[in-house]
Amino acid sequence: MKRAAHAFPGLILLMMASTVARADTAAGQAAFEETGCQSCHYTQGPATEKSIADQLAKKGPELWYAGSKFQQPWLEAWLQDPQPIRPMKFNSVMEPSPGGHPALNADQAGPVADYLMSLTSDVVEAGAVKVKKKNLKGKLIFIKKMPCSGCHQFPTKKKFSGGLSGPSLVGAGERLNPDWVLAYLREPKVFKPVKMMPVFVGVLSDKDMKNVAAHVATFK
Amino acid sequence: MTRRFLTALLALALGPGIAGSTLAADGETLFRFYCAQCHGIEGKGDGPNVTGDFPVDPRDFTKTAEMNKLSDADIRNVIIDGGPIADKSPMMPPWGKTLNDAEIKALVEYLRQLCNCTGKTG
Repeated sequence: MKRAAHAFPGLILLMMASTVARADTAAGQAAFEETGCQSCHYTQGPATEKSIADQLAKKGPELWYAGSKFQQPWLEAWLQDPQPIRPMKFNSVMEPSPGGHPALNADQAGPVADYLMSLTSDVVEAGAVKVKKKNLKGKLIFIKKMPCSGCHQFPTKKKFSGGLSGPSLVGAGERLNPDWVLAYLREPKVFKPVKMMPVFVGVLSDKDMKNVAAHVATFK
Repeated sequence: MTRRFLTALLALALGPGIAGSTLAADGETLFRFYCAQCHGIEGKGDGPNVTGDFPVDPRDFTKTAEMNKLSDADIRNVIIDGGPIADKSPMMPPWGKTLNDAEIKALVEYLRQLCNCTGKTG
């Protein structure tokens, strides 16, 4: 009984914290909608694109799994100073990115980041990728064996290298959740049923996918 | 009777053309979406990925003489398994797990339009 009496305030605190978190998420969703984010980004999963036309009709990347894909500190900072991630305009191989993604102020960015981080996918296995300082097997696959670097910029000793049609992976170590990168390689159609990047399921082993995800996590 | 005969003749004459152009349109859509990022929107090997860092020159599909050296099967194999199957660069990805048979067929036909060639047989 005495223990229960001690546990009770703890339970109340937990419930209050949970309510505050929900309130932040709700405030973030409200700010997301008020600032017009939904005109370019959809937040309701699962993905429904069935054709190239469906993919090309999208104005911006889908965000229904943003909480599995991104890291919260990066997301909150980026929303306030949104520099292009893709060298090319979204869905285009002809036009460079025009930039100009709307920025949020600090009061909006925190709650919106909290809201986006609440949008997750069950497919992402937490802790599946072990990140170390280096992953040489992943590096070899990324640069030599597979064409990853042909479409994605990545950091090098000089500055960066790589192609322009895919999202840049410079800074991916701070931006992306390595477990999401693995999930994206393992089950790409869950996230993007129709996409310009080849499917590597049946091409790379699961172990190699983990190595690539761990290598991408080292990108500064 | 004569009209029916003429209509049938017209359908026979146009049929393959219509089917071909439908496939070619699909092929063009596929090409622009998947291939143009390296091979360029017009197939000249000059897509946005071909920066100074790109280690090879993606094939220029408008070079008739070069493309004529390849059979449809050669092209198909490289699309499915990537550059290394033909001792070419791994920068050409394997698309076999991305595209289905009909899409690959449409792409091969579209490349034949770009090169204005039929390629070697066999």
